[in-house]
Amino acid sequence: MVNYLIAMLVTVGIYAVLALGLNVTWGMAGIANLGLAGFMAVGAYTTALVTKTFGFSIAAGMCLAVFASAALGILVSVGTLRLRGDYLAIVTLGFAEIVRLIASNETWLTNGTDGIAGISGPWRGQLSPVQFNWVYLGVTAALLAVSLLVCQLLARAPYGRVLRAIRDDETLVSVAGKSTFRFKLQAMAIGAGIMGLGGAMYAHYISYISPDVFRSLISLYIFLALTVGGTGNNYGALFGSLVLIALLEGSRFVFATVPAINAVQLAAAREMLIGLGLLLVLRFAPEGLIPERPKIFTRAATDITPRN
Amino acid sequence: MAGLEIVQSLINGVVYGTLLTLPAMGLTIIYAVLRFPSFAVAAHATVGAFAGYVANAVFGMPLLLAFAAGFLVSGLVGVLSDEAALKPLRGRGPLTVAIASIALTIVLENVLRFAFGNELRGYDVPLQRDWMISGIRIGPQQVVNLVVSVVLMLAIFAFFKFTRAGKAMRAVADNPMLASIRGVDPNMVRRFANFFGMALAGLGGMLIALDTSVNPLVGFRIMLPIFAAAIVGGMGSVPGAVVGGLTIGIAEQMSLLVIPPIYRTAVSFGVIMIVLTIRPAGFFGERGN
Amino acid sequence: MLVSSSSRLISRRHLLGASVLGGLSVAILPRMAFAEGNGPIPIGTLTPLTGAGANYGGRMRDAVAGVVAAVNEQGGIIGRQIKLISEDDQTNPEAGVRAARKLIDVDRVAAIMGVWASAVTTAVAPLCWESGTALFCTSGADSITRLPHKGFIFRTEPGSELQAEQVTVFMLGEGARRLAYMGPQTPFTEPSIQRMTKVATAAGAEVASIIYESEKASYRSEVDKILASKPEFIFFGGYAPDTVVLVKDLYKAGYEGRVVGPSYVIDAEFLKTVPNEATEGAYVYYTATSNETGAVDRIKSILKIDQPDAYTCQTYDHANLALLAMAAAKEASGTAIRDNLRKISQGDGEKVGFASDGARLLEEGKKINYEGASGPCDFNEIGDVTSTVTSFNVVKGGELLPYK
Repeated sequence: MVNYLIAMLVTVGIYAVLALGLNVTWGMAGIANLGLAGFMAVGAYTTALVTKTFGFSIAAGMCLAVFASAALGILVSVGTLRLRGDYLAIVTLGFAEIVRLIASNETWLTNGTDGIAGISGPWRGQLSPVQFNWVYLGVTAALLAVSLLVCQLLARAPYGRVLRAIRDDETLVSVAGKSTFRFKLQAMAIGAGIMGLGGAMYAHYISYISPDVFRSLISLYIFLALTVGGTGNNYGALFGSLVLIALLEGSRFVFATVPAINAVQLAAAREMLIGLGLLLVLRFAPEGLIPERPKIFTRAATDITPRN
Repeated sequence: MAGLEIVQSLINGVVYGTLLTLPAMGLTIIYAVLRFPSFAVAAHATVGAFAGYVANAVFGMPLLLAFAAGFLVSGLVGVLSDEAALKPLRGRGPLTVAIASIALTIVLENVLRFAFGNELRGYDVPLQRDWMISGIRIGPQQVVNLVVSVVLMLAIFAFFKFTRAGKAMRAVADNPMLASIRGVDPNMVRRFANFFGMALAGLGGMLIALDTSVNPLVGFRIMLPIFAAAIVGGMGSVPGAVVGGLTIGIAEQMSLLVIPPIYRTAVSFGVIMIVLTIRPAGFFGERGN
Repeated sequence: MLVSSSSRLISRRHLLGASVLGGLSVAILPRMAFAEGNGPIPIGTLTPLTGAGANYGGRMRDAVAGVVAAVNEQGGIIGRQIKLISEDDQTNPEAGVRAARKLIDVDRVAAIMGVWASAVTTAVAPLCWESGTALFCTSGADSITRLPHKGFIFRTEPGSELQAEQVTVFMLGEGARRLAYMGPQTPFTEPSIQRMTKVATAAGAEVASIIYESEKASYRSEVDKILASKPEFIFFGGYAPDTVVLVKDLYKAGYEGRVVGPSYVIDAEFLKTVPNEATEGAYVYYTATSNETGAVDRIKSILKIDQPDAYTCQTYDHANLALLAMAAAKEASGTAIRDNLRKISQGDGEKVGFASDGARLLEEGKKINYEGASGPCDFNEIGDVTSTVTSFNVVKGGELLPYK
């Protein structure tokens, strides 16, 4: 049981890092990036390839993962950032699908649908599975703390204020003489880099990655985690991830006690509950469970000006 | 020979494209009035496929009545699910509502799974061989699909242009506040748009299920292409959805002449990028930001 | 999801514990059971109940549940009842890993059965061999059993390359000289095409192939492309949902040649879904289904179906093999399963097709050889089943009839 709880805490940590990355792009800068799974995949594959093929250390692999995803974030931005918000959302969703297709089909590079097994984990060989779980919880906590620190500094700095201003009224910022494109580009790079880190953390924990891991389901989960926790708030990203995993995992135990329906119905009921739970939080905690700002400062503008 | 091959592949593209146009029209109508891209069109396409299945295979109705059932049921589900799940979120930004529509999709997919299970099902309709016309083949069902799509598109277009309700819908889309001052009830108009949009998605879902099978995931087979179609045509534009659907259909099928079929989805997105570079709001998109 | 008839007892015992431990969740504790000890023996299924593989997972899970219920009715194994815990892998490795964690760390299952997708199997495999849990899968990737799994993995799906070879030999034997392969990108797609080409070329035949993107609404141009090579026999390498579309598109395109697919694709459900005219004359290959020991009859009565597909037969065997291995070891654990499975699955013992029958013989000190629904169930040293394609059916008027 304890081992399971640790594993789920590690998962919360990885989700939280991904959600922090999303918070930089979507929460702070208002860029509707649904391509999270794609950036996560690039991070995971980068570190898996360099640590397995070229014998890089895990730390070096993770650093490269961050850079590779950030670089890709810039590349994607150049082509898409000028699009309207809702168009951008669909195009980035497509981007993630294309990354998955490449991972599936370019076997020479990614080993195709077989995936990459046996990715190293920190001290994995010397530890028992339970010890490894504890160690990785520590690693996750440390990396999460670093990501959180970066995101908090970003949010508090004048830079973060500019991003939020772009999110709330882009025209105003560009009238004030700032290049909103450059700011958004940087936000995408930072956000994508953090998402890449999340992917790398996943790869070294599970030790196996394959294209199917990076289906858009995971992007959806993280988006919901952030929205539930409180878009724009870094602690919201953390708390939302915890709530999401509690919902995903807790539902198993709830339905264990339901008799008399078949396994498929049980699985369907469980997913229904997850969807409903998220809709309810969206409905009754409009700003998320930890709102970005106290209620009185709530952006009145959002009622009129759609975000994009 | 090579010439025939190209023509055939173009025809295949038109055939596949017409499959995309109905749900894409649904998506775009909802977008025109409610101003958010509803991911729930995929789930409603599945709802329509199941409703048609129940009418046709369970109650033995002919295909035409089954189409009507698919249309009505998915339209009603569209209105009800919007009232319950999405309406309270309006004013929270289009992307928040879009994300909520994904959560709604999960719920609907699993309601169907709970009720019907995961089995593949088929309509009680015989398959027909394609007609061969001087070396080019085209299917009877596909011709029907094409006619239905074009007729519906013209009907919808005329509806928006010439009827009072249609004008009211456009007014609400343009400026809800002004419209309500002029005595149009925006809520009724939104309900209407939802009904129509999801009903079209459901009808489209039934057509797709005819070519594939009825199961809880059938709507997802076309989710990305219909979004691509709606964007290429310009979100909010009904003729745009038709042109966009055909563009994506033709591009995907014709691309197979030169690239391996494993990258079909990538082709759709290549087309989006090219079109949006030239026309940032799509072929018929009215406004930018 | 308790199948055990003594579930009430175990709940009460654990609830007592819960009241002592106070702070811990009451919802979780009743599910905790231990492979070691005297309570029910926990075993788990991890089949796809949602997602792309969902049309298989329900039946697979029900086959295991049926075995467990029947065994419990006859007194269980080594004097203990069996408790089945079923989780959904969502046909996704990330979700699958979380579910497997729960089965291993919370439920302490001795075996995880019915894992279907190759990616899910490979993802949960390290958890199983590290925790000493037996892993039974129906996955097609030949790379799975080459993992350093310390003997904990048993794969009941016969090797994909060998299947491709035997189906090719069949097509050649039917007189076809132009063959074709249509399948999505999977771990076994390219190896299958390569093996097929090798065998066909040696016999002077040609092979055309197309790898398509799965989950599309139409495959018209893919079909045109393959028909350009004028194939006489087409081999389907994908799963049922996409193959339904292919079969319909081939029919519409006027294809008059023959097709062949595995029993988990062209099954009773498939034949009900696709109109008869499009499936007429299709061949279906079976990987060593045998009814020598009555195993197939038992599945038919458990699931109330006429023609169980390969995956359902395999998961039925998973449950029986795991239970018999524990009966032989007189111990309920993954390690016991690993160390004793081959003692009951192969050799010259008395042939049995159901766990309770075998367990009785084992108690009498006799040797047994489990011959299941999916074949003889003999395993090689890396955990691959040694059986392969043995029979073919043909579709006539929407019914599956024996052919070869």
